[in-house]
Amino acid sequence: MLSQVDKEILKSDDFRKLVTVRRWVSWSLLLVLLGLYLAFGLLSVYSPGCLARPVFQDGVVPVGVAMGYMILALTFIFMLVYVWIANGFFEPLEQKIIAGLER
Amino acid sequence: MNITAILMFFVFVALTLAITWWAALRTHTRADFYAAGKNIGGLQNGLAIAGDFMSAATFLGISALVYSAGMDGMLFVLGGTLGWAVILLLVAERLRNLGKYTFSDVVAFRLERGSVRTMSAVGALAVAIPYLLAQMVGAGALIQILFGMPYAVAVVIVGVLMTLYVTFGGMIATTWVQTIKAVLLLTGGTIMGFGVMSLMGFDFGSLITAAVNTHPQGQAIMAPGVMFNDTITIISIGLAFVFGTAGLPHVLMRFFTVPDARQARRSVAYAIGFIGYFQSLIFIIGLGAIVYVSKNPEFLAADGSLIGGSNMSAVHLSKIIGGDLFLGFISAVAFATILAVVSGLTLSAAAAVSHDLYANVIRHGNSDEKTELRISRITTLVIGLATMALSILLEGENVAVLALIALAIAASVNFPVLFLSMYWSRFTTRGALAGGYAGLAVSLLLVMLGPTVWVSMLGFERPIYPYAYPTLFAMLANFILAYWFSVTDKSHRAFAEVESFDAQWIQSEIGPTQKT
Repeated sequence: MLSQVDKEILKSDDFRKLVTVRRWVSWSLLLVLLGLYLAFGLLSVYSPGCLARPVFQDGVVPVGVAMGYMILALTFIFMLVYVWIANGFFEPLEQKIIAGLER
Repeated sequence: MNITAILMFFVFVALTLAITWWAALRTHTRADFYAAGKNIGGLQNGLAIAGDFMSAATFLGISALVYSAGMDGMLFVLGGTLGWAVILLLVAERLRNLGKYTFSDVVAFRLERGSVRTMSAVGALAVAIPYLLAQMVGAGALIQILFGMPYAVAVVIVGVLMTLYVTFGGMIATTWVQTIKAVLLLTGGTIMGFGVMSLMGFDFGSLITAAVNTHPQGQAIMAPGVMFNDTITIISIGLAFVFGTAGLPHVLMRFFTVPDARQARRSVAYAIGFIGYFQSLIFIIGLGAIVYVSKNPEFLAADGSLIGGSNMSAVHLSKIIGGDLFLGFISAVAFATILAVVSGLTLSAAAAVSHDLYANVIRHGNSDEKTELRISRITTLVIGLATMALSILLEGENVAVLALIALAIAASVNFPVLFLSMYWSRFTTRGALAGGYAGLAVSLLLVMLGPTVWVSMLGFERPIYPYAYPTLFAMLANFILAYWFSVTDKSHRAFAEVESFDAQWIQSEIGPTQKT
C-alpha cells in the first residue's frame, strides 16, 4: 500500500510538473537522435547513392560521413542541453519536493 | 619484441598492483567491494565508465572495420556513442535512485525476489562470461603479436592480473585501473588522430581522397554497403549497440559507485564526452590506416595480407605516426585496455553470483557480510581460473560468436526487463520471466542457426537463420511476451506488484527519501 506521504507527493503539482517535463525532454531528445541513426541505416540500404554524394558540389566529403559527424556532435550538444535542464530545473524541483516532505 | 612496450607495460602493472594493495586496505564492506564505497566523483566515474566500455574491440575492431569497409564503419562508430544517450536520458539517474550494487536490484525492486533475480543474474552472467572469454582470447592473440610472447603466457598474465585486481582491490582497484587506462587510451587516440590529420595538412578532404585512391575498392568505401546491405542486419546492429550498452552488467554496475543520482548524471555526461570524442577519432584512424598501412610493404606478409590481420591496422599505423616509441606506447595501452575491461566484467560476474544469487536468492536478503564477501572473492578466483583454462583451449578459434552472443543478450534480455521494470506499471513477475527467458532463448537459438555457428563452425552449407545478428527478433520476443504475460496476469501477486509501482516511481524520480 502507498503511504500517506507518497499519495501526497503523487498529487502535488511539483511532482507532476517534474515527471511531465522530464519525460518530454528525455524522449524528444532521444527520439531525434535515434530517428537520425535509423535514417542513416535505412538510407544506406535503400538509397546508398544519397549518402555517397559529396556534400558540396566539387567537394570530396560524402553526405554519409558528414551526417555521421553531425549525429556525434548532436549527441554531445543534447547531452549538454539535458544536463543544463537537469541542473537548472529538475534538481531544484526535486529539492523542493523533498523539502516539502520534511515539513 | 619492443623494449618500450615492455617497459611501459611494467610501469602500468607496477602502478596498478600498488593501487590494488592500497585499495585492499580500504576494502572492508560490501559497499567498498561492489561500489568503491559509493564515493567516486562524477568526473572520475565518467573516465572509468569510458575505460570500462572502450575495449580493444572498440579501438582495434572498429578502426579495422573502417579500414576494410569505410563508411559502413560509421554504423558502429555511431552505435557505440548513441547507446550512451539512452543511458543518460532513460537509465542512469533512475538506476542509481533505485538500486544498490547491481542492475538486478532495480529489476527485482517490486517483483518477486527469488525468481526475477535469478533470471537477471543469469542475464548478467550470460553477457559477462562470453564477453570475458571473447576479450581474453582476443587479448592472447593480440599480445602474442605485440609482445612476441606465447599465447598461453599472455592469457595467464591477463588472467592473473585481473584476478588480483578484483579479488583484493574490488571496485576501488577496478575503478583506478579503468581510470588510468581511459586516460592512456584517450591520449593514444588523440596523438594518432592528430598525427594522421597533420600528415594530411589538417584537411579532412585530402584524407578522404587519399583513402579512396589507396583502397582496392576505391570510391565504394565512401558509400555504404561494402559490408552491410540488408535492413535486418543494420537494424539489429543498431539495436544491439543502442540498447545493448544499457544492458551490459559491468557498465551498469559503475553507476552505483557514485553517491547520488546527480553524480550518476554527471558520470554519463563526462562519459559521453570522452566516448564520443574517441569514436570520432576512430573513423580518422581507420582512414589513416588505409592510406599509410594498407600499401606499406613493411606491414604486409609475403602473400600481401596485413601482418596480424586487419585488427592490427591501428597498431601498425602508430609506428608510422611516432616510430617504435609510440608503437610501444600503443601496444602497452592495448594491454592496459584489455585488463581494465576484463576486470570490470569479472567484478560484475562475481557480484551477480554473490550479491544476486547468494545473498538475495539463497539467503533471502539476510546474508552475513563477511560470508558474502568471501563468496564474491571465491567466485572471482573461480572465474579467473576457468576463463584462463577455457581461453587456452579456445586458442585460434573464432570467438566472434561469443561477443555476438554477449551483445545480443544484453540488448534482448537485460535491457528490456530493466526498462520495463522502471517505466511500465503493469509489468509483473510473470511477464519479466517470460520475456527475459524468451529473449535469452531466441538470442541463443538464432545465433546457433545463423551463419556464424551453423555455417562457419558446424560446416553446413546454408544458414537456417540468414542473418548474423539476432537482436531484432530476440528483443521483439522479449517485449511481446513480457507484455502479454503481464497484462494477462491476474494473480494476487501481480496485483500487489502493480500497486507498488507508484512508490517505486516516486523513488526513481526524486531518490530515496527519509519518510517519517
